[in-house]
Amino acid sequence: MSMIKYILRRLLVMIPVLFGVLLITFVLSRMMPGDPILANIPQVFTQEQYDAARHRLGFDLPIWQQFFIYIGNLFTGNWGYSVSINKGQEVWELIWQRFPRTIDIALFSMIIASFIGIKTGVISATHRNKARDTILRGAALIGVSIPIFWLGLILQLTLSYRLGLFPAVGYKTLTYDEPVFLTGFRIIDSLVSGQWYIITDYLYHLALPVLCLSFITLASITRQTRSSMLEVLQQDYVRTARAKGCREKDVINKHAKKNALIPTVTVIGLNIGGLLGGAVLTETTFNLHGVGELLLRAIVDRDYYVINAIVFMVTIIFIAVNLFTDLIYAHLDPRIKY
Amino acid sequence: MTQLVEQEFELEERKEKSIVKNIFKWIGLNLKFLFVPGYRIEELTIREQEYEKTISKRKFIRRLKSILTIIGIAIVFMIVTFAVFAPWISPYTFAESNGVYTGSWDPPSPGHLLGQTNFGRDILARMIWGARSSLTIALPAITLSVVVGVIFGIIAAYFGGWIDSVIMRISDIFFAFPGLIFAIVLVGVLGRRMEYIILAYGILGIPYYSRLIRASVLQAKELPYVEAARVSGAKNWRIMFKHIMPNCIQPIIISFTFDIGGVILSFAGLAFLGYSDPSLIEWGRDIDIGRGHLVNAPWASFWPGLMIIFTVLGFMLIGDGLRDALDPRLRNL
Repeated sequence: MSMIKYILRRLLVMIPVLFGVLLITFVLSRMMPGDPILANIPQVFTQEQYDAARHRLGFDLPIWQQFFIYIGNLFTGNWGYSVSINKGQEVWELIWQRFPRTIDIALFSMIIASFIGIKTGVISATHRNKARDTILRGAALIGVSIPIFWLGLILQLTLSYRLGLFPAVGYKTLTYDEPVFLTGFRIIDSLVSGQWYIITDYLYHLALPVLCLSFITLASITRQTRSSMLEVLQQDYVRTARAKGCREKDVINKHAKKNALIPTVTVIGLNIGGLLGGAVLTETTFNLHGVGELLLRAIVDRDYYVINAIVFMVTIIFIAVNLFTDLIYAHLDPRIKY
Repeated sequence: MTQLVEQEFELEERKEKSIVKNIFKWIGLNLKFLFVPGYRIEELTIREQEYEKTISKRKFIRRLKSILTIIGIAIVFMIVTFAVFAPWISPYTFAESNGVYTGSWDPPSPGHLLGQTNFGRDILARMIWGARSSLTIALPAITLSVVVGVIFGIIAAYFGGWIDSVIMRISDIFFAFPGLIFAIVLVGVLGRRMEYIILAYGILGIPYYSRLIRASVLQAKELPYVEAARVSGAKNWRIMFKHIMPNCIQPIIISFTFDIGGVILSFAGLAFLGYSDPSLIEWGRDIDIGRGHLVNAPWASFWPGLMIIFTVLGFMLIGDGLRDALDPRLRNL
């Protein structure tokens, strides 16, 4: 019961944060120089045409009125219409064509990074100050310092252009069709319609971007796991476990690892923001047509509603993931109660 | 008369010289004390407290003396040298490495050791000039966020109540923005000028630092020395910035060095996406330029990227060393 209360309280705290994010993005996007109305009227135009377009798009109202109309529409499910990228298309539709891909690469890379990162972190903690630890720590430090877009380019150059192992750009082979549209997620859609070749093709194309993006979180997860593991290994209960004759494997995996994972989960949760930002870079490098690329185009084209909607969605995901990680604590550590 | 003036002049000069000499002597003594085990300064042994203080300093230096940290210091020293002395080190001047020549995308040759990028510009020269813009953007940005973040964090934690909740809710809002996306929007709004990029990253870092220091101030403000200061009549501001802040600044120092690397990395990403000051030479943008000719001229994007890795690695190594030396939780490990 207290758990539900806790979730409710967290959701209530979310509201002012979301409002603030919306306000800031709205104001910032309206401050941008440039005029999207010009994209909606002919090259040579009269003042009447301009005013008519402005009225039609709702840009003639005072700015605060526009803001409240926008907020009202947002929560009733009307996310507005694209003004300049794809004129007249609903923003929601425009984003949903691209969002699944971004989620896919972010999710896959997060899973891969957590798996490898926790493993390497534990290894370097248990072999502290030995050769293996030094190598892993050095690798993690270098991993933190690599710009992922550069890594992406190098991977493209070596693995795809020179060796031809992976496709360099895009998310599908050009001749392949789109699967039947159900959820927008390519994997789920083709699974439902039974087109297995699309899934393998898709995963094959995602391999390099995911590898690249997982580098962002991999190193920080390794480092966090190592330091919290080292701390836990000093504790009395680990000594007790060893004294009572547990195998070393069980001491590490059952007694120590579970306690050491709690700070790591926080790091994973906080990294989701960096991951979504990194997705912008990876999508640009690998030409994936994801939501990050859409955001860049929306900023260039001054498509206000698209910018606002993307930032809004990304913020919601960030907050939701952090709430989720807080809830995972209770599962990992029964001592924590809400 | 004139003789007298000259004499006085000489005397003053000698005095000045002796001051400089004293300073050098003092620095020498301190360095000896810190690095040579067993070396003592007599003055300090008289005053017990001072001695204790320097003993801990010596320990700190000794902990800092790991091989990785020294490598990091060397790398950062090299990058700073590149940035400061670029006109002397770089084979071409700033104008020349931004000029238009023949030989675009040419492979390495004696005149251009690492090859040429677009418009026949020399890559080595651009790598060296790039250090300057990276540091001139990263350092002020981090300083801005540390100063403002620390002030807000201390105020929030010290006063508590509604001030705390207002500041923390605002920082929540900025925290919820993914960093790179916020920077893109902000630079898109303000314009592609160096000052605005600095401002964008400065604002981005503020909530992080204010949270970091808030946590330690919350613990520190309950300690007896704060109460003692209050009893002896210190004003709030004095307690906050003279008594509490020096005791809570350690995690900030650690993450400061880490974050210089982080900002350089993130800022390179921003430049890669095309949001950079066109009047500067930046590694990120050089990578973007070289991207179009990845297959026939890989050196154009390879070398600037290596430079980014190097710089960030240097700051990260120093940050790692500092954390090992300063973090009390790691001390016993």
